[in-house]
Amino acid sequence: MHRKFSRVLGIAAVAMLAAGLAASASAKVFRVNVVADPAQMDPITYSEIVSGRIIRNMYEGFTVTTDDGRNAPALAERWERLQSGPGFRFHLRTGVVFHSGRPFTAKDVKYTFETLLKPGNKGGLNATYLGVIVGAKEVKDGTAQDLSGIKIVDDHTIDIAFTKPDVLFPIYPFYFMDAGTVAEHGPDWMTKVSAGTGPYKFAKWQRGVSVDLEPHNGYWGGAPKVTGVRFMIVPSGDTALSQYDAGELDFVDVYAASIRRVLRDDRYAKEIIRVPRAQSTYLGMNQNLYAPFKDKRVREAVSLAIDRPAMVRGLYGGAAFLLDGVTTPGMPGFNASLPELKFDPERAKKLMADAGFPDGKGLPPLEISGTEAFKDELTYFANQFQRVLGMPVAVKTVERATHIRSMNAGEVAFFPWGWTADYPDAAYYLSQMWYGPSPYNRPRWKNADYDRLIEEALGVADDAKRFALYHQAEKVLLDDWGMAPVPMTASVALRKPNVRGVTITPFGFSSFAKIEID
Amino acid sequence: MIRFVLGRIAGLVPVLAAAIVVTFLAARALPGDPVTVMLSDHSADKVMAAKLSAEYGLDRPLIEQFVRYVAGLAVGDFGLSFRYVRQPVTSVIRDSLLISPVLALAALALALALGSAAGIVAALYRNRMADTAIIVVLVAGLSIPNFAIATFLVYVLSVKANLLPVAGWGTWQQAILPVVVLAIPSAAYIARLARTFMLEVLQQDFVRTARAKGLAESAVVLRHAFLNTLVPLITSAGIIFGSLLSNTVVVETIFNIPGLGRLAIDSVFARDYPVVMAVVILFVLFFAAINLLVDVLYAVIDPRIRAGLSA
Repeated sequence: MHRKFSRVLGIAAVAMLAAGLAASASAKVFRVNVVADPAQMDPITYSEIVSGRIIRNMYEGFTVTTDDGRNAPALAERWERLQSGPGFRFHLRTGVVFHSGRPFTAKDVKYTFETLLKPGNKGGLNATYLGVIVGAKEVKDGTAQDLSGIKIVDDHTIDIAFTKPDVLFPIYPFYFMDAGTVAEHGPDWMTKVSAGTGPYKFAKWQRGVSVDLEPHNGYWGGAPKVTGVRFMIVPSGDTALSQYDAGELDFVDVYAASIRRVLRDDRYAKEIIRVPRAQSTYLGMNQNLYAPFKDKRVREAVSLAIDRPAMVRGLYGGAAFLLDGVTTPGMPGFNASLPELKFDPERAKKLMADAGFPDGKGLPPLEISGTEAFKDELTYFANQFQRVLGMPVAVKTVERATHIRSMNAGEVAFFPWGWTADYPDAAYYLSQMWYGPSPYNRPRWKNADYDRLIEEALGVADDAKRFALYHQAEKVLLDDWGMAPVPMTASVALRKPNVRGVTITPFGFSSFAKIEID
Repeated sequence: MIRFVLGRIAGLVPVLAAAIVVTFLAARALPGDPVTVMLSDHSADKVMAAKLSAEYGLDRPLIEQFVRYVAGLAVGDFGLSFRYVRQPVTSVIRDSLLISPVLALAALALALALGSAAGIVAALYRNRMADTAIIVVLVAGLSIPNFAIATFLVYVLSVKANLLPVAGWGTWQQAILPVVVLAIPSAAYIARLARTFMLEVLQQDFVRTARAKGLAESAVVLRHAFLNTLVPLITSAGIIFGSLLSNTVVVETIFNIPGLGRLAIDSVFARDYPVVMAVVILFVLFFAAINLLVDVLYAVIDPRIRAGLSA
């Protein structure tokens, strides 16, 4: 009886110890929310934000964006221009191993590029950066298997030839994958393993619940100090906050609808992180669709009628930043010396009168359009332009996909919108949003000087010289009042006091490689 | 009896056919097309858009899309998800499949137990303090919306007291709050029904007879009176299950449970037609199954219906 009792006690003690250990071990898993399930978990088809946030911890490219928005070498230690023509020679980092344990070499780079291009692979976002490589078109069309512009010099040296110069190529966010993965795990390998070199590897995906990553102990930058990362799939911002309050999340990405609540609550004051998004926000005015916008004075008046500081305070409850140009702060190529855009109703009224529309008389009716998510902004703008300029503006909300399609087709006259950068260089904004031939030039503003400056800039490898050209082009656009910059909303996150080494940047979450939990 | 069940199953065919046609057309009548949603900001890429359209068969005439879809259904193929790259619909819904019906069934069981107990007590103590108190609680349970109760319980039990998890799915603790929240309005509804039925039955001659022959009060109430309230209660259980099933959509969203309800909402926003249609068809099946079950139970409980069937 006695012995039995002590045995029970012993088992209980062991069980409690085990439970205690399990609890302390699980406490070292970094838990963070994402708004939805990732649409894909492989670096080939990847094309959306949630996937991007997860897989950037598993995969790496030639360079990486640091938390302060610079480009630092990652899998390429250095690179130089090819002697033979446009293109680069990359010197790859040695001693890098994939999650499988295989070494990372030049053949993996070639394999990744070819896989992205091959028809039927549904190459996503990263495939769009490969068009300049010699032979890319043939692989894309299915007439060639081999990407002829790539020459493997040795295991850690690779030459990539282009059809035309592309100075930004080294900073494109490629994700190199292990060439041996498909042979080992089959075509649905991404549901079982990850094939990158990053600090974490794939462990488990429970749809609608979480995506779990575990440390890659052979990581070249040093093994992570936490025992794992858990991305909890939480569509509701309020639920995410409650989970954070209850200690079920260590870090919470605060969704737009909950930002005001967080900013107002003193409890969070010490845990809050607030940064401007890498999203260039503007009010687009399509001159082809609304004749008065052809007059530069009217465009200037529209910009002058916006009270930007009041928007930041009132509309966004402080969770926004002023933007005076195209390039957002923190982005390489940002011009910090642009003059602040003024709210000047008197001058705005005078300009309208000069243009032949005193107090808005004679203006045809106009709609300002956006999605449901923008309805507060739309209402603010409509009201402001009516009050200050006498402009007859009505509000129209449209379903998102329909709206994006109409904007791309140049069929929307007046709209606030934003363009989110996928790589850290102002070219992302300048060459896509306002460059004449770009399909994403949604208000269809066109200027030959601007286009020429952008074309020139994209051939200049030297950052300082290129940025100077960016600034000139940006000035051409602003001087013409081609659009009206509007405040950018903030990314807001909360971080528990016992968590270090992670933050939120204009580009989303920082790298999770150096996280520590006390 | 078997013929009866088979007849009921055959009656399902036109219902399902109608559900398939309606969901197919409704999904395509929604504003916004899936290719633009898939490409999002990059949707001006016409080559990519055309490629995707062709891959998913969206460039074919509507009638051809429909015929292909129905042909696929016949062999249990719901097609490919638009949102999840390369994933068949069956694999997207597999993990969620049983969550909503299990939640609804658990809530139904809880609601039946709580509701009938409260109803009987209220009937027995008619117009006394206990009855009034129960009725007040019932009215509250019926009139406070689900999400308000949920938010209140999460705040008190999870955030403040840290007794139960806020949200999520996978452990039994995570199931408690959703089941309770889901069950509350139904429990209140059942209690009201049970009270009314019970009051009615208690007036009946056979109850007076049972008392007259000297049976213990507990036997009178439980065996003679309560058993007779079961037939109408079970009939309403079918309807209640239906409303519970639709309420899982709300509860799953609040508690972040990866069930069919939340999947349906997410898929509607992602214009993932194939998943939306599969979920709707499954919900129709669940409804039909529970109604069939109710009819059968009916026959089992009420000897008169059984007699009618075999005649």
